[in-house]
Amino acid sequence: MLRIQNVSKTYPNGTQALKNVSFDVADGEFLVIIGLSGSGKSTLLRCINRLIEPTEGKIIWDDVDITAASPAELRKIRRTIGMVFQQFNLVKRSSVLTNVLSGRLGYANPWTSLLGIWPQEDIAQAMQALERVGIAEKAHSRADALSGGQQQRVGIARALMQNPKLILADEPVASLDPVLSHSILQYLEQLNKEGITVICSLHFLDLVHRYATRVVALKDGVKVFEGSAKEIDRAKFKEIYGEEAQEVRAASL
Amino acid sequence: MPLPRLLRNTLITALVIAAFVISYRVTEADFPRLFRDLPKGRELLTAFLTPDVFTRDLETRTVSIVFPVPCGSASVEEVFPAEGPRLVPSVNCAAPLEKFTLQGFDLQPNSEVVIRWRLPDERTMTAIRTQTDANGYFSQEVQARPIQASVNGVASRLEVDTLTPVGGLKPSQALKDVLDNMFVTIFMALLSTTLATLIAAPLSFLAASNITRKGCFGTGVYYLFRSFFNLMRSYDPLVMATVFGFWLSFGPFPGFLALTVVTIASLGKLFSEAVENIDPGPVEALQATGAPPLHTVRYAVVPQIVPDFVSYIIYHWDINVRISTIIGFVGGGGIGYYLNLSINDFKWNQAGTAIWAIVIVVWAMDFLSAEVRKRLT
Amino acid sequence: MSKQMSNVVMSAFVPGLGQFLLGERYRGLGIFLGFLAIVATTLWYGQPLWYLFPFLIWAWNLWDVFGLAAGQKHSVLLPLAFGLAAAYGIGWQVVEIDFSRAKVERAVAILRPMLQPDFIQPRRELNQMWVPVEVPCSSQPPAARREDAGRVATVTPDCGPVGETLLVKVTGLWPKTETNIFWQNPIGNPLMLGEGEIRMLTQMTDEEGALTTVIRVPTTALVAAPDPTLPQFHRVYFEQARPIGGYELSFIGNEVLKGALATVSMALMATGLAVLFAVPLSFLAARNLMSGNPVTYAIYLVVRTLLNILRSIESLIIAIVFVVIVGLGPFAGMLALALHSIAALGKLYSEVIEGIDPGPIEAIRATGANWLQVVRYAVIPQIIPPFTAFTIYRWDINVRSATVIGLVGGGGIGFLLIELIRVNNMRGVSAVFIAIAVIVIVLDYISAKLRERLV
Repeated sequence: MLRIQNVSKTYPNGTQALKNVSFDVADGEFLVIIGLSGSGKSTLLRCINRLIEPTEGKIIWDDVDITAASPAELRKIRRTIGMVFQQFNLVKRSSVLTNVLSGRLGYANPWTSLLGIWPQEDIAQAMQALERVGIAEKAHSRADALSGGQQQRVGIARALMQNPKLILADEPVASLDPVLSHSILQYLEQLNKEGITVICSLHFLDLVHRYATRVVALKDGVKVFEGSAKEIDRAKFKEIYGEEAQEVRAASL
Repeated sequence: MPLPRLLRNTLITALVIAAFVISYRVTEADFPRLFRDLPKGRELLTAFLTPDVFTRDLETRTVSIVFPVPCGSASVEEVFPAEGPRLVPSVNCAAPLEKFTLQGFDLQPNSEVVIRWRLPDERTMTAIRTQTDANGYFSQEVQARPIQASVNGVASRLEVDTLTPVGGLKPSQALKDVLDNMFVTIFMALLSTTLATLIAAPLSFLAASNITRKGCFGTGVYYLFRSFFNLMRSYDPLVMATVFGFWLSFGPFPGFLALTVVTIASLGKLFSEAVENIDPGPVEALQATGAPPLHTVRYAVVPQIVPDFVSYIIYHWDINVRISTIIGFVGGGGIGYYLNLSINDFKWNQAGTAIWAIVIVVWAMDFLSAEVRKRLT
Repeated sequence: MSKQMSNVVMSAFVPGLGQFLLGERYRGLGIFLGFLAIVATTLWYGQPLWYLFPFLIWAWNLWDVFGLAAGQKHSVLLPLAFGLAAAYGIGWQVVEIDFSRAKVERAVAILRPMLQPDFIQPRRELNQMWVPVEVPCSSQPPAARREDAGRVATVTPDCGPVGETLLVKVTGLWPKTETNIFWQNPIGNPLMLGEGEIRMLTQMTDEEGALTTVIRVPTTALVAAPDPTLPQFHRVYFEQARPIGGYELSFIGNEVLKGALATVSMALMATGLAVLFAVPLSFLAARNLMSGNPVTYAIYLVVRTLLNILRSIESLIIAIVFVVIVGLGPFAGMLALALHSIAALGKLYSEVIEGIDPGPIEAIRATGANWLQVVRYAVIPQIIPPFTAFTIYRWDINVRSATVIGLVGGGGIGFLLIELIRVNNMRGVSAVFIAIAVIVIVLDYISAKLRERLV
């Protein structure tokens, strides 16, 4: 159970990215966050694992207050929260295997990992994770030799290495061809069915309808909607995205 | 897979270490000496940091007393004044090489003092320099002349000049010289870059594979110019300048020629690459309209290469200013020559002025050329 | 109309001001700066005739502002031409360009020996013989005769003062071979006996290997002697050489190789040393790491400025300082190159750090990694390849600079070059030039290949 309580974030330059946002996420949910670019989706996701420090409010996960955790505790919490990024955020010059293994850093021995030495079981697990996303044969390639869809699959494999209970996915398909979107989201859906909670921000409404068990909508940092995907009709859509917005379906692209 | 890689990495590491060990020995590296002798550099750096830029006019006032060497070689008839600017020696005469103390009272305050001997035949010998305090007083040990200094009963005199700065600051001679030489340096860079451009631009077409490399003759020409450019480019202009200096004797002219030759090669290479990288589309299009070759070049090639050419020229102008500041070290004239002279004469402050001028000019050119190139792209 | 006149008046006092006020800001600024530069140049040159050019530009500027006010825009080609004419005209005279000084005969005299680089020579064996001569005479001079391995050399008379004519005889040398005859003073310096005492005296031996010739005791024979009246033994040397097949490195060739090794080593050491200092400094000079708080930002500014100043001082000038501190030799050159490279590499490295992708850092932090792990897995993999590429590139540049740094006493092949030019040994100079080209081109190629693999 993840509780977001009255979270606000004001950046040093005065931009208010989040204003008093509260909602709960039950275990096993596939929660989708929607909203325009700049509505605070990325900030909200990063507040959950404190890559961005919220200015106010509390985030409580399984009765642990993430916002009050010490640096050491925070690292322990972070290692159980996987994260998938819009730009994949792989180290392009490192091998795919190293990128996947780096998901294990929170568990690894801090000294041997600095030398790049990994226990056999970690390497086996990494290969397993790569097999799972279907690119085991690319393990020794450089990350930037892979296509965008493949790189995002490496990103998911990296998150898997953390044995996560929660996956935060920040626009995981926004940098990909629409046809690839489903393949990536299906991996997330599968993980969700295995009991991992997924919080994902998305752009395309038809993807939201297809995958979300519940939807939270943000507009200018304020939560404007919370409910099931089916409740979002044209009127609601206009309310969230503004009058001029046109619904574009990913499948139609 | 991992083992050969490990082997390879170990081998590379071993080779690099070996190379460094050899280099360490060959370069006669002696770091203890560097640290031990570092204070020697301090004098230099302080001089560089206090460049000779401004001077003030000096007012000279002279006081003198008669002082026979040795005693009794001449009669002393002068009356020493008891007040006003005056000199008071601890003894009234001295044997050759004897040391005595000379005091000065009520002279010009805070001034440089030059103590010297005026011999009976009007020759002067500077003995020592010192400084007066705020009351115009100084005290200094002086050694008498090594041989008899009186001739025919006329005694030698001790003269003291006080040099007092008066009036406002004005540019020093060093600053004027540096400015003069800097103009020469900049002109050297300007002219060599221009001349090199004029020569390199047509030659670069001969070294461009897409233009020249056609047929046996063309291929020959292409390789000839390409290797000429590559060969000449490998010489630093200073290395060239040594030979040109030997041929034409010293002055800015050999420096200018050396700089020009190297710049031709370097620009020729860059230009030819720009020509090779042109889009063949427009050329084909014009050829398809039946345009004669010269027109094809004028309308399809030139517009494509001009921006690259201009950017390379500015880039090289920047480099050439840098190099022309030091080409004088090997006889090329300009500010480098002046700097070399000052260093050979141990005039470190003067050298400091030149170095600061070089830094400022190089910096300004760097900034200007970067700005201009930014505008162009 | 009055407005137009006021602009003209303004441009008359400050060229370009009228244009500036009429909205043509860049034009006005350009005219002003160009005018200033030309005025400064002509004033500095001080030849009244050249004042014509700033005047012409000034006049054009009035005409231009007049036209601009009337809505007409003239081409700037004309004032540009005036400016360039002045600049090149003055430049031509200042740089003392005088092609009549470029004497072809002298060029040929320099270039001809350069066609035969002194690098290798035919292997040969030497046949050396000497005989002692006393200069000046003592009361009982010993006989000037020496026998050695079947060769006999005599001088008559047995001794003599400076300028004395001596008859020299030698037998038992190789027959029909050119023989160099020279003088050696007691401290071992050779002195020439040929024409004007600046040329080698050379004679042929006859069929029996004998030789007879007349020499004079060289005028400089006693220059190095502490007391010229004290009789001392000098030597007359006979030297023959004949090829024995094959080739060997000549003396100069050997020196060139040594110089080349010193040059490459100097560059390598300098680059290695520079890397040690440049890496930590580059982190301090990276804006993205240091702009967090005022203290680190101040450090950033100081380090950046220092690097920039150091970068604009040529390594050649830095070398002078080190020559004073540690003396002539490759060590001084190496230190100078290293100091200059620290600044250059520091700047390049800090730009790499400023350009790293923050995404992976975020991703690794999100896995719960600690600070060191983030640096190891997200930062270092991103910066190592470009750092290495820049380092190799710098080494390449340093090799070029190292050829020059010897010219001011920094050791290496440049030092050899300037020494050879000083003694007019153009065959040696030619060998040095070939060596420089080979080193630079080969290393250029290697460094390009290595960098290609790293990108």
